[in-house]
Amino acid sequence: MKAFWDKVSKNPYYIKIFKNPFTYVTGAVLLSIFQIAIFASTGSPWGVSGTFANWGAWLYRLVGGNVDKWYYFSSEGAQATLNNGILNHTGSWLNFGIIAGALLATLLASQFKFKKIKSLKQVVAAVLGGLLMGYGARLAGGCNIGALYSSIASLSLSGWVFAFFLFIGAFIGSKLLAKFFM
Amino acid sequence: MAEFTVDCLGEACPVPLMKVQKQMEKAAVGDVVIAQIDHSCAMKNIPEWARNNGHNVEIEEVDDGEWEIVIEKTN
Repeated sequence: MKAFWDKVSKNPYYIKIFKNPFTYVTGAVLLSIFQIAIFASTGSPWGVSGTFANWGAWLYRLVGGNVDKWYYFSSEGAQATLNNGILNHTGSWLNFGIIAGALLATLLASQFKFKKIKSLKQVVAAVLGGLLMGYGARLAGGCNIGALYSSIASLSLSGWVFAFFLFIGAFIGSKLLAKFFM
Repeated sequence: MAEFTVDCLGEACPVPLMKVQKQMEKAAVGDVVIAQIDHSCAMKNIPEWARNNGHNVEIEEVDDGEWEIVIEKTN
């Protein structure tokens, strides 16, 4: 058995497809093809972070909360989505796919690893950064997928406006990173 | 011919690249900087940066999801 796996791990096609990272161009082409496939099959452009708000609402409902009166979920469409449940929500399945696919890819490349947490500073920065990104994405009506990638792909000007301010944010963020983490 | 090790285990992008750039500035021509990483993006952006700057680069997979990028400063 071990001989078989040793052979597989030296196979040039295995190395090319599963082991070595794709080039940026290959990744870009694949992303473009799949986002067209998502648009064609689901009828809406690809988005990621809007789903997280729904997951939050479902979690809140699980513990007895109620979001019916929240402005964000007040529309009939939003209520219908919540009432239909997570298993009938396309965006949730897309996100499950990302998580499962990422795990599968790292396992196939034999690169799975539990990383150690380096410092409390790292935890604080990750939690703060995650909260700010999530909050910002909901205020902006999308993240770098829905409001940037899908918008630009749909020839919407708003995507370019998002890109401009994304660069400003990334610039400030990298300055903060250099200040606190180097 | 000094050898420096930069411990970037547990660090996410772009911290590993920034740490390597800082260490490369301090190193002299002919010195070797070894970056220990466990973030697969760093396996792309560190060698790319180093090769663009004309340094010699080698990547070794030391364990599942763990690499050492060996960079020899050439200029």
